[in-house]
Amino acid sequence: MKVSFSVNGAELSGDVEPRTLLVDFLRNDLGLTGTHVGCDTSQCGACVVHLDGRSIKSCTLLAVQAEGMQVTTIEGLADGDALHPMQAAFREEHGLQCGFCTPGMIMSAIDLLQNNAAPTEKEIRDWLEGNLCRCTGYQNIVKSIQTNAKSQ
Amino acid sequence: MYQFDYQAPDSLEAALAALRENDEAKIVAGGMTLLPTMKLRLARPEALIDINRIGSLAGVTEKNRAIVIGAMTRHADVAASKLVRDRIPGLADLAETIGDPQVRNRGTIGGSVANNDPAADYPAGLVGLGATVVTDRREIAADDFFTDMFETALEADEIITAVHFPIPKRAAYMKFPNPASRYAIVGVMVAETHDGIRVAVTGAAPCVFRVTAMEDALKKDFTPDAIAPIAVDGAEFNEDIHASAEYRAHLVNVMARRAVAAVG
Amino acid sequence: MDIQGEYHIAASPTEVWQRLIDPDVLSACIPGCESMTRASEDAYDCAVMAKYGPVKAKFKTTLTLSNINAPVSYTLSGRGQGGAAGFGEGVADVMLEETSDGTALRYTARFNAGGRIAQVGSRLIVATTRKFADKFFAAFSSGFDVAADDATA
Ligand SMILES: Cc1cc2nc3c(=O)[nH]c(=O)nc-3n(C[C@H](O)[C@H](O)[C@H](O)COP(=O)(O)OP(=O)(O)OC[C@H]3O[C@@H](n4cnc5c(N)ncnc54)[C@H](O)[C@@H]3O)c2cc1C
Ligand code: FES
Ligand code: FES
Repeated sequence: MKVSFSVNGAELSGDVEPRTLLVDFLRNDLGLTGTHVGCDTSQCGACVVHLDGRSIKSCTLLAVQAEGMQVTTIEGLADGDALHPMQAAFREEHGLQCGFCTPGMIMSAIDLLQNNAAPTEKEIRDWLEGNLCRCTGYQNIVKSIQTNAKSQ
Repeated sequence: MYQFDYQAPDSLEAALAALRENDEAKIVAGGMTLLPTMKLRLARPEALIDINRIGSLAGVTEKNRAIVIGAMTRHADVAASKLVRDRIPGLADLAETIGDPQVRNRGTIGGSVANNDPAADYPAGLVGLGATVVTDRREIAADDFFTDMFETALEADEIITAVHFPIPKRAAYMKFPNPASRYAIVGVMVAETHDGIRVAVTGAAPCVFRVTAMEDALKKDFTPDAIAPIAVDGAEFNEDIHASAEYRAHLVNVMARRAVAAVG
Repeated sequence: MDIQGEYHIAASPTEVWQRLIDPDVLSACIPGCESMTRASEDAYDCAVMAKYGPVKAKFKTTLTLSNINAPVSYTLSGRGQGGAAGFGEGVADVMLEETSDGTALRYTARFNAGGRIAQVGSRLIVATTRKFADKFFAAFSSGFDVAADDATA
């Protein structure tokens, strides 16, 4: 089935089977392996990308459903060598250890600040409900997001 | 996932026609329940009919002292709607407690209501507020809509188009969430509507239910203390590693009292 | 998390027992059973179509009769493999007792699941098992044309 949508600003079209998940299309067809698959049961948030600006789980969306829409992945954030401020904040505050959850965390956190520019600590923790991290204990992830929010 | 055909019609008529054409076709709305089920190969529809492109199915409006929420309205949009927040704050709160932000950005009220998961939040919202489910062919009172675990009054080829919530005098929703999924271990909606007081419980039993003993007590005295002695029978309640049936029965009373206190 | 139920049947324990071990009766009472073939003396292969909410899938199940103590009690167990979803196993201990007007059938049932089906569905297991067991024993008892007592948990 034919699809065309934009990924990180580039218009593309291709042929996919309806059953192809967006995350598989991004990783296998486009080689954008920054978006991870953690659980495959819609619970961990490693696969979070933006669809028309809103964070969604790309393991629970068919690629064909993105028809005509804009997809942004972790690879679409940096401007050349300059990291996105949220990426920079995660680096600054040690917001990652193994890094597996990080792309999803960052995509989710950016969506939070779009909705709420100055979230409280509790609001940040509540928002991260759908993003699991096995390493950090979340402390520095929350700090990274606070740092980014303050610098905006 | 197994192979299937896919189409995304842009009108309700086209979606209904496609549904009628194939007994093994299924509607996909937010996909937050259906796609995980298909990934586990626990469902194998021959065709998916995606109703995300039917613009008329999404949005919130006010009509005749009721809030009308289109079936394709996402949980996040109900939670963020000024109109819902203003007229039925308890319903905006309910939508805000569903799952996580990414589930709320995709999941829809129509999908949640059609699915009638025993631990879903909206069934308590609909029954507690005395809502009406509007489909392509008829209107069904919430009291008659949710018939049993995962079962509703919907016909196989029927599509929900909207839910009608009469604006209550006051209402509040309290839930004890599962710490992992956020599904309700027990959730209680308490409302004083223009037709009387309603107490609706989700999560505890296989299907949403009303506690008439509490409704009667609140009619006389709208305070948490008035319902404190009213116990519900947990014999047929749900049980899992998170909560026994007995604990769920206890939580019904606790959540109901908290909801009454929150209604104020 | 055992589920219990009791039915009163206006027939002698021996008559009830004959039907409890009759594969045709069993397959007619299992909700969604599409076929049943004898695999060995006390085991049958069945294909069961499970339909609960969004779930609609066919499972290959092995039904086994064990702990046979005719005509008083036995254990009926069904083990199904759900491929990518994991596995599930349901067990029911069934007891018959003669009463003044027939037979009391009591059962205790439980269900265990493993794999991803357990990860996402554990909160539904008790309610689903109760529904399944109720349907089975209600269908079984009504075969004697007698109304069932309410099943209690
Ligand atoms: C991690 C996670 C956590 C969750 N936590 C919660 C929670 O805390 N509380 C809660 O209530 N829910 C929770 N959910 C479920 C979520 O709310 C789903 O969005 C909802 O149950 C189904 O809605 P959907 O739009 O995604 O429907 P879909 O998955 O697209 O469809 C579900 C079923 O409804 C049918 N259907 C859909 N729309 C219609 C329609 N308009 N007319 C007729 N039939 C229709 C479909 O054919 C399908 O059978 C959670 C889900 C996940 C993945
Ligand atoms: S891989 Fe998508 S939520 Fe875990
Ligand atoms: S940094 Fe390892 S999972 Fe989060």
